[in-house]
Amino acid sequence: MKKLVVLLLTGLLALSACTAKKNDTTDTTANTGNEETKVLKVAGLDGGYGKAGWEAVAAAFEEETGVKVELTLEKNIAETLRPVLTSGKNVPDVIYLSVGAEGKLTDTMIAEKQIVDITDVLSMTIPGEEATVGSKIIPGFTDALTSSPYQDGKLYLAPINYSPCGLFYNAGLFEEKGWTVPNTWDEMWALGEKAKAEGIALFTYPTTGYFDAFFSALLNETAGPEVYARLMNFDAVAWELPEVKEAFDIVGKLAAYTEENTVSNANKDGFTKNQQLILDNKALFVPNGTWLPGEMADAPRAEGFKWGFTALPAVKEGGDKYSTTFVEQVYIPAAAENQDLAKQFIAFIYSDKAVKLFYDTKAVIPTVNASALITDGDENKLYYSVYDGGAKANAVGFAAREAVEGVDLTSAEGILYGTVNSVVAGTKTVDDWYKEVIEAVKKYEK
Amino acid sequence: MRKSKQRSRFIALCIAPSLILFSTFMLLPTLNIFWMSLLKWGGLSANKKFVGLNNFKILLQDMKFIRALQNTLFLIVIVTIVTLALAILFAAILVREKIKGQNLFRVIFYIPNILSVVVISAIFSAVYDPDGGLINSILSLFQPATWKTIKFLGDQSIVVYSIAGAMIWQAIGYYMVMYMASMSSISIHLYEAADLEGASKIKQFFSITLPLIWTNIRTTLTFFIISTINLSFLFVKVMTSGGPDGASETVLSYLYKQAYDNASYGYGMAIGATIFIISFFLSAVVNKVTHRDVIEY
Repeated sequence: MKKLVVLLLTGLLALSACTAKKNDTTDTTANTGNEETKVLKVAGLDGGYGKAGWEAVAAAFEEETGVKVELTLEKNIAETLRPVLTSGKNVPDVIYLSVGAEGKLTDTMIAEKQIVDITDVLSMTIPGEEATVGSKIIPGFTDALTSSPYQDGKLYLAPINYSPCGLFYNAGLFEEKGWTVPNTWDEMWALGEKAKAEGIALFTYPTTGYFDAFFSALLNETAGPEVYARLMNFDAVAWELPEVKEAFDIVGKLAAYTEENTVSNANKDGFTKNQQLILDNKALFVPNGTWLPGEMADAPRAEGFKWGFTALPAVKEGGDKYSTTFVEQVYIPAAAENQDLAKQFIAFIYSDKAVKLFYDTKAVIPTVNASALITDGDENKLYYSVYDGGAKANAVGFAAREAVEGVDLTSAEGILYGTVNSVVAGTKTVDDWYKEVIEAVKKYEK
Repeated sequence: MRKSKQRSRFIALCIAPSLILFSTFMLLPTLNIFWMSLLKWGGLSANKKFVGLNNFKILLQDMKFIRALQNTLFLIVIVTIVTLALAILFAAILVREKIKGQNLFRVIFYIPNILSVVVISAIFSAVYDPDGGLINSILSLFQPATWKTIKFLGDQSIVVYSIAGAMIWQAIGYYMVMYMASMSSISIHLYEAADLEGASKIKQFFSITLPLIWTNIRTTLTFFIISTINLSFLFVKVMTSGGPDGASETVLSYLYKQAYDNASYGYGMAIGATIFIISFFLSAVVNKVTHRDVIEY
């Protein structure tokens, strides 16, 4: 009798374990009434632009096509998506997460070749419109390494939400002191001395992660776009060119003008304290993106504070000034089930309707007519007009390579950017840093 | 004969559930880590390439890993010694002495344990702030105006001590309660007898208290090793992200960076396997070195 009870109980236990498993797997199609509606799963980052734009665009897409969009936007999406992608079950059809974003999930997807080729989206007609996607996107965006990481002429990641990066400053302080924004690095150093006399540091940075945009623009200035393209392809010969070294030297000189507490706060917990230095008139320039004023909206500030934004100063008089264009990406993971539908959704992002809806949250989709949305009174005008003022645009990001174990060149704390903390603190020289970078690059180059 | 067979069958049936659970949730994943450490794999695709012990070979030459290992071992030693000494001292005072507000002290010492590590890290980031932080503000009262504040999290030679400080603050209460529990079980007669014989408080502590809580201390030493390895990851992740320039990297934060940020999942697992072996080895050594005959009374 006892045996029977034990057997029965263990049997029940096993059975409950099995049934729990069954309930877990949900169908990709949901039943609404008798008719089966298609479901498109979109997952992405709840980032600087917020959720509202995506929610509105998802609703518009549902209306346009009759498809149901399941939208999941989270702040830690890289962490929640990783196990899903590893298991290969219930994988979202569209992922919105930029190359280089924290967690490096997209970078890993690229390195592992887990992203669907979406070149055909370019020739697709946008749902609800006559135009094709390719005719809408601003030329150049789809060739960038962040969109076509293998440089094989194919599109893998669709470019969205572009914004210029550059140096932010307090325009009010410049007016008050009668200072002009430097056009060349020499003027920059002169301004640094003037500011030092007033007890203000010339430069600060939130974390070393922000050097990706800053340093890319600087490399374009010293070495030009052709060499820059080779640099991003891990060409060690290009890295050893003297004009590349010049960019390192400029950062080394800038290190001497960097606010003294910057390194202490250059981490996830303290980076806003570094940004606060600009608001408190304790430092003049900080490299950042257009999200900065929003991020610091509630922070206290000096009297007469007014945001100013500029491209990097040129290396010499009449030289090119650069401002890195930061672009975000959406893509289809290889394990997605509704790839055709996903492509339609990506095409829809470039429709006039979606572009407008995204712009309501200040996100600018790189379409030829999106800049028309930025009117004169718009606060975005300040940033996006940087290119009208003569600054050139450059992309940011390295070409895809197979990971090299133990060598981290490009992340925020990696060799290329993370070492800046040591240069500023004085524990490493610019030459040490430069040598380390070249050694690392050589390990990628096979 | 039949009875004993039935009996062993019953025992097998009883331990089967826990055995199955243990193997599926502990044994298998651990073995899996050792297997994955032999692969070149990014973690997301099916492209797994067997590379034998290559990951371990790279690991031995990886100076960043060696640095992280040094930091971790340093933290284990310093956090253990300081926390152990302070926790025993406070426990002895709170158990043996009659002081006002005893219960209040107990609560206060234990509070850091209720707080999440993220909160503690945020508190210490504020305490360590070079501009207006608690420590620097107090120090600057006694310094000339030209004095440069201490960069607790910015100076590469200090940052590990700063992390250790936060970890010690967090751990004292927990271990203190553990030592208090075993101290209060020591019979009061022993102390009374020692008093009559004229033994000082310090003599009593070293001759009665310490030997009688020795088994407890040995157990906590293993806890120290495991928890320092684990907690240092959380503290580092929130307070410094391993910086400045890798100065505060610990083995687990380095594992995390390699496995996820650097798309080298297999390499990350090789680091994991190494830590597994090291922590086992350390615990074994500590256990062996501290072995004494158990004193009974």
